[in-house]
Amino acid sequence: MEIVAFLCNWCSYAGADLAGTSRFKYPANIKVIRVPCSSRVNPTFILKALANGADGVMVSGCHPGDCHYTTGNYFTRRRLLLMKRLLEFTGVNPDRVHLYWISASEGTKFAEAVKEVVEKVGKLEKNPMSSIEGEIRYEKK
Amino acid sequence: MKKIGVFVCWCGLNISRTVDIERVIKEVSRHPQVVVSTDYKYLCSEPGQNLIQKYVEENELGGLVVAACSPNMHELTFRSVAQRCGINPYLCEMTNIREQCSWVHDDREEATHKAIDLIIMTVEKVLRSDPLYSSTVPLTKKALVIGAGISGMESALDIANAGYEVSLVDKRPYIGGHMTQLSETFPTLDCAQCILTPKTAEVARHPNIKILPYSEVVEIKGYVGNFEAKIKRKATYVDWDKCTGCGICVEKCPQKTYSEFERGLKERKSIDIPFPQAVPFKVTIDKESCIYLKKNKCGVCAKICPAEAVDFQQQDTIIEEKFGAIVVATGFELLEGDDLAEYGYGKYKDILDGMQFERLNSSSGPTSGKILRPSDGKEPKELVFIQCAGSRDREKGVPYCSRICCMYTAKHARLYKQKVPDGQAYIFYMDIRAGGKGYEEFIYRSVDEGNILYLRGQVSKVFEEDGKLMVWGMDTLSSKKIEIAADMVVLANAMIPSQGSKLLASILKVGTDEHGFFQEAHPKLRPIESLTRGVFLAGCSQSPKDITDTVAQGSAAASKVMAMFSNDTIKVEPVVSLVKKEDCSGCFACEIACPYGAIEHEEYKGRQVAFVNAALCQGCGSCTVACRAGVVDLMGFSNKQILAEVEALLWK
Amino acid sequence: MKYSYFPGCTLHEQSKSFNQSTLASSSALGIELEELKDWYCCGAVFPLRADDIMSLLSPVRTLIGAKKEGKDLVTLCAACYQVLKRTNYLILEDREKREKINNYLEEDYKGDVKVLHLLEVLRDNLGWLGLREKVSHPLSGLKVAPYYGCLLLRPAKEMTFDHPENPTIFEDFLKSLGCDVPDFPYKTECCGAYLGATAKDVVSQTVYNILHGAQKRKIGALIVSCPLCHYNLDFYQGELMKEKSELTPIPIFYFTQLLALALGLSTEVCHFEEHRIDPLPFLGVIK
Repeated sequence: MEIVAFLCNWCSYAGADLAGTSRFKYPANIKVIRVPCSSRVNPTFILKALANGADGVMVSGCHPGDCHYTTGNYFTRRRLLLMKRLLEFTGVNPDRVHLYWISASEGTKFAEAVKEVVEKVGKLEKNPMSSIEGEIRYEKK
Repeated sequence: MKKIGVFVCWCGLNISRTVDIERVIKEVSRHPQVVVSTDYKYLCSEPGQNLIQKYVEENELGGLVVAACSPNMHELTFRSVAQRCGINPYLCEMTNIREQCSWVHDDREEATHKAIDLIIMTVEKVLRSDPLYSSTVPLTKKALVIGAGISGMESALDIANAGYEVSLVDKRPYIGGHMTQLSETFPTLDCAQCILTPKTAEVARHPNIKILPYSEVVEIKGYVGNFEAKIKRKATYVDWDKCTGCGICVEKCPQKTYSEFERGLKERKSIDIPFPQAVPFKVTIDKESCIYLKKNKCGVCAKICPAEAVDFQQQDTIIEEKFGAIVVATGFELLEGDDLAEYGYGKYKDILDGMQFERLNSSSGPTSGKILRPSDGKEPKELVFIQCAGSRDREKGVPYCSRICCMYTAKHARLYKQKVPDGQAYIFYMDIRAGGKGYEEFIYRSVDEGNILYLRGQVSKVFEEDGKLMVWGMDTLSSKKIEIAADMVVLANAMIPSQGSKLLASILKVGTDEHGFFQEAHPKLRPIESLTRGVFLAGCSQSPKDITDTVAQGSAAASKVMAMFSNDTIKVEPVVSLVKKEDCSGCFACEIACPYGAIEHEEYKGRQVAFVNAALCQGCGSCTVACRAGVVDLMGFSNKQILAEVEALLWK
Repeated sequence: MKYSYFPGCTLHEQSKSFNQSTLASSSALGIELEELKDWYCCGAVFPLRADDIMSLLSPVRTLIGAKKEGKDLVTLCAACYQVLKRTNYLILEDREKREKINNYLEEDYKGDVKVLHLLEVLRDNLGWLGLREKVSHPLSGLKVAPYYGCLLLRPAKEMTFDHPENPTIFEDFLKSLGCDVPDFPYKTECCGAYLGATAKDVVSQTVYNILHGAQKRKIGALIVSCPLCHYNLDFYQGELMKEKSELTPIPIFYFTQLLALALGLSTEVCHFEEHRIDPLPFLGVIK
């Protein structure tokens, strides 16, 4: 199972770092892409991930009201809501996409969130796109 | 295509214990653009950095990937290495295989796989990275210090002494903060007023310091080097330019009200100077209790004032000013309310908090320094101190240690014994935490000389019975239930962030921790900086501290400000948005998404298009998503970079 | 105001005074308590259970019964209230346990029945002012203090009934009846609970402390909502009176008994004959 996570640099990425310094364990299925703000996450990134076979996508930002950039996560919230409805409409289970608010001090919450996403996405069938012949990683030298 | 060098760090055993590094470098070297794939025990060390430099020179590398700890830790380190090697720093990226891989996974196989995937992802990102160049903007060499307690004053003095202007704001009508209320200070028992008043006087007369008492910061705009602040000066209803502090109005004012300075142990007048050493020595009218302001009657103060300084028409005013840096020194207050219900705090008159006991001990306090019960004015012969009242409690109150209570409780007990030699002092404690210079010795002297009875255990209940305060507690060393019929009880209430700090944090756009204290950029290596550039932290606004540490942090924050002000310009991160203007339709959806007003309008080929003011842009990237045509992109986190990362992660 | 009513075994058998004074006062206040058609043992003692599943099945079955009747569930006995409320909490919070328990049941239970104490109904639905208006025989002149015990209040996170250290709901109730309510710091002390079965001297001591504390404050009577507190404070008081001459009798009431009196209902519903410490001399003060 592959899960792509977009974490905002100031809260959630720091929260993930704190989970690390605190040695909270969580599944290795999650791979993190660092973005400055959750509002940098273009829905096309999520679509790209799902189209390329990711079983799930996690987006996490600062708590509403605590955004490092004041209002970024409010945009994220609205965009993701729309996005999930679009996914449902197109026949993709919206449960593949999960939005969280995790602050820099919430290492435990990050570890728990990853477990939750892995559990929820694990209940869905494998992303059918993942079996489509993908791009070849790279030629052997 | 660039030639990429991948450097994998062992971080001693921190990474190598869980990640098979040999396999990682072998796998990664199969990527066609990776010409160097190697490892080292500690890449951040000088030999490690030299190693990178050597490989860059030998292989003419065009981009670097350092797989090590979190970029929050060492991105700056390795980007400067890149710069030293002649590579644009933004062509160097870190892969976090420690905090987000080796430390959170146990399975070596899984962790190794993940590390390889993450590194390839970063390689793909760097392949699409463009060199970026920092620009510089001018800087306002003037500091705003919020909170005029001991840390704020120390900060302001240091900055001012370096030759820069400082505005020092405090919500109270005087400067000096909590320290003005203290009697004597541990561990030397010197009088707080005696060491503080020279400082308040120096601050007040310093030509570079403008003090703004009875004021609050209500808005901050702009960015590091160029903050635009709005400061509200609350109406004092007295023209301070005219007021001489003669105090005739205070004498004649018929209305009494709660005294914040005496913490309710004594009433004060509605028009008042908080204490005899107050700076500035001016009167302020409390609008909540003033008869004239409430009912339009009385007005005695206005009639009697020889300087005609009373002005009931005075309004709050807003000052707007530019600052280059901000120091937050908003201090603490004491936990009150329901969390202390079992101690009867707030219910019985003779149960005091630590600050009230300071006032009792103060020679300028309500009892002129005599230890007397508020209920009947008698001298208490049995006095119980309860440490950790609300602190170190995971169920209610706060889970952290308030750090100063062990020390001031020992001090309180000693002061009490000096004043009431035939009295008995009991101290309930959980542990004695006396980790400061001369602290442990102070505790031992108190136990030995003061004949103070330390009882290790917590108190379950305090209540009134037969004219005494019954204290039920436990001595866990003898495993006995203890019952003391006390005359007075003093609680060491937990320290919590001062009221309004949450609001201030949102105004400053800096974070707070789970307890509401201001969040430092790094708990160990950057304890003075917030995560917002140009905003620094000092004193108890960041965590509970004693005076020594508070003063040290105040100075530290000042030194950060001074380092900034020693340059004439300030570097602006090149991670900003950029509009491809030929494709911009001028809908300005990006303008709505931008929290900084950085999107400006520009004339291009006869139409209005968007333009990003790089000095204002903070690089959140919200506009890039708002743009319908996708013509706004964020440098350093561009669409092609992020999409390449996504693709690389999912390669099979 | 219609509610389902769970009397529990003690009110059904031993403490008619509690049950009948409750039913009579409630109907006088327009609160309809309809006894559940099908109810079981509440599970008795939540913290002492050894077998998690077995001891939870009984309260869950009761809760399912209440769910079918579609109304909020009112109960009075502090022990029943605690067990039902904590069972609900566990079912809501612990998914694993919920699934396990539901495996034993014909139908699933999700923890969605609202369990209320009669005091909460009085406070939230009637309101203390509303209660005051209905009081026809104010108990003015009676110095009565509440005795909360432990089960109503703790653990606070699960019970969410009142502040565990400084509760005030009983005080508000007593003031609405017109009583004089003094400060009583012993109101949350332990009554000795089940130790009566194994260590009578411990219960004697705890009961003595509580009563002595009340006596010092010239408190004439205590009110309770827990049959076990009632038993300990009433029965052991009788025993203590034999040896401690300094003790004066302090009758122990269920709060609904005083409610019935204040509403002017017949003393018959109060079943004063169940009391070991005769309350009539004390009640003489009002008449």
